[in-house]
Amino acid sequence: MSSPSPALCAAAAASCSTPLRVASPVVRFRRSGAPASVVSAARAAAAAPAVSDDLVLRIAEQLEDSVGASSPLLDPLRSASALSLLSTRWPTRRSNEAYRFTDISYLRSLPISLPSQPLAVAPPASPYASHVHFSDGVLTSSSGAHVSALADIPPGRVRDRAAAALAASAEFADKDIFYDFNAVGAKDVAVVHVPEGVSMADDPVHIMFSYSGCGDGSMMMSNPRVLVVAEKGAEVAIIEEHFGVGQEDGGCYWANPVMEIIVEENAKVVHSYVQQQSFVAAHTKWTVVQQNTSSNYEFVEASIGARLNRHNLHIQQLGPETNTQLSTFHFSAQNKQIHDLHSKLILDHPRGRSHQIHRLIASGTGNGIFDGNIKVNRYAQQTDAGQETKCLLLSSKALVNVKPNLQIIADDVKCTHGAAISGEHDPNAIYFLQARGIDAKTAADALNFAFGAHVINQIPFKPIEKKTLSHFKALLASSRQNEK
Amino acid sequence: MGQNGSGKSTLMKVLAGHPEYEVTGGTVLFKGENLIDMEPEERSLAGLFMSFQAPVEIPGVNNYDFLLMALNARREKKGLPALEPLQVYPIIEEKVNALNMNAEILNRAVNEGFSGGERKRNEILQLSVLGADLALLDEIDSGLDVDALEYVAKAVNGILTPQSSVMMITHYQRLLDLIKPSYVHIMEKGKIVKTGDRALANYIDESGYKAIATA
Repeated sequence: MSSPSPALCAAAAASCSTPLRVASPVVRFRRSGAPASVVSAARAAAAAPAVSDDLVLRIAEQLEDSVGASSPLLDPLRSASALSLLSTRWPTRRSNEAYRFTDISYLRSLPISLPSQPLAVAPPASPYASHVHFSDGVLTSSSGAHVSALADIPPGRVRDRAAAALAASAEFADKDIFYDFNAVGAKDVAVVHVPEGVSMADDPVHIMFSYSGCGDGSMMMSNPRVLVVAEKGAEVAIIEEHFGVGQEDGGCYWANPVMEIIVEENAKVVHSYVQQQSFVAAHTKWTVVQQNTSSNYEFVEASIGARLNRHNLHIQQLGPETNTQLSTFHFSAQNKQIHDLHSKLILDHPRGRSHQIHRLIASGTGNGIFDGNIKVNRYAQQTDAGQETKCLLLSSKALVNVKPNLQIIADDVKCTHGAAISGEHDPNAIYFLQARGIDAKTAADALNFAFGAHVINQIPFKPIEKKTLSHFKALLASSRQNEK
Repeated sequence: MGQNGSGKSTLMKVLAGHPEYEVTGGTVLFKGENLIDMEPEERSLAGLFMSFQAPVEIPGVNNYDFLLMALNARREKKGLPALEPLQVYPIIEEKVNALNMNAEILNRAVNEGFSGGERKRNEILQLSVLGADLALLDEIDSGLDVDALEYVAKAVNGILTPQSSVMMITHYQRLLDLIKPSYVHIMEKGKIVKTGDRALANYIDESGYKAIATA
């Protein structure tokens, strides 16, 4: 990438406190070969009311150095995010409401490194014809109809659509620091573009993200990015799987993926997301969905890995009569493991339907957080929105913080929500199993399993469902051993 | 038999060790052992089976896995090796067919979204797969259509052997036409106030419980 002039750097840095949008070329944190200037750029920024943060700038700078040549289509997004990083402070529990219950200090506990060059790794086997593989955040392979790397898309309609979507992402108002890191650090984007009226519902696109870490005592950060566009009347199923590979206990790394999904009129996206990262990894993820008129989005999540897991799930309704189904399951099985889901569903149009269920198990000294926001704005009349969260605490030291919240401005709506936190199962269910000869302990184990299986069972693809269930079962058994 | 609230279901639940009830005195001997000293699962493994009047929904627990788990708990008790899912399938499938149920019911979560009739049939499916020396059946006829009742009755008659017994609660003659009782007991305020044979049930059907209470 050509280096912009120092003057432009300074101008860009100083402009961050104003709403001025910087045109391409991308904002630089540092002039090439001038390592000290990042601080001075920050100082320049700090002269304005906005405050910069050395840690944030350091990471941003590392990311920018690692990216090298990238598609110019990413430039608007990258410069917008670079600009906001200049004035973003590292979130803390005190300073940032969105992190009030989530201790992300684990991310600061180790130095951060970045994969220097794409690793020559054979892609993991997929049972599906359409698949994409990211190795430590680098898009290494993609195959199947309508699936491609952004860099490989020939000029034309598909490329223009992707460019427009990425440019629009630059305007994403609810983003946070991790979204910006991804935008600055993403080298390429995997694009799934399903043309109008095409149905691939039974032929899912399997997107695999494998992570290995570098094993040198640092935390290797990666920023994979995926864009899914389902055009009018199209149907597509996405399986998104994140997992550690290589080292026996799993590598130490920081995965910071972003998945953006655009569901156009009458289109349908079925999205299954499984997170089985290593237990020393950090996983901060964004899923951003836009739903147009009469579209369907069905999402099933099973997050059972990572030491620190934060998922921001953001769904915006762009037209009436949308249908949104969200089912998520988080399992904090290990000591000090943190699982956090922040979901936000914004309804702005009439007759939207949504149903959200959230399940969380915390054992040992595990920690779970759920903030589920549903906004039913003024014109979202006749919305039917339901939300239900249930948490199960398997030990006296487990901790959960749940904040289900519905903000309703429209006056003709049906909204329900329920939250339950419990340390034990329904005694009637336990007794029912006992009455069939199953002892109370085995019965409780079966119900713990059922608690998660209830969500995992909704993954519509058998091989993925079975694999996730058996992984969950093994973790449940080992967490029980730990409790003893 | 007995009026609503006379204690029929309570008796069954106490026998099956329901946690809502605490037994403050007396003993219940079953095959020479005091049931009251046993945990609910021990009672089940000893050969006691109670069908629930209102079977519990257990979301996330697959019906087939549940049957397998219960079956293997019995085998473990007898010192037999656990069976694998595929080994058991033919056995369970046969019982499902005998009850004229859709095999799809095995893939669903236990009782979740089941109709009243499906729940009752699912109880009898458990009975026919697990077997019992004494089966306590609490109003298995409620919620069943005429055809379903016939299949259920056939399954119950199938487990009746000279070594096993069935005790059932019912308000309706139709079930008694299909599963012929040796004895009919009438309960009132927690006590058996009259014992007879099938003729007693006919008498109740014609004259009501008042006739007995005042007798």
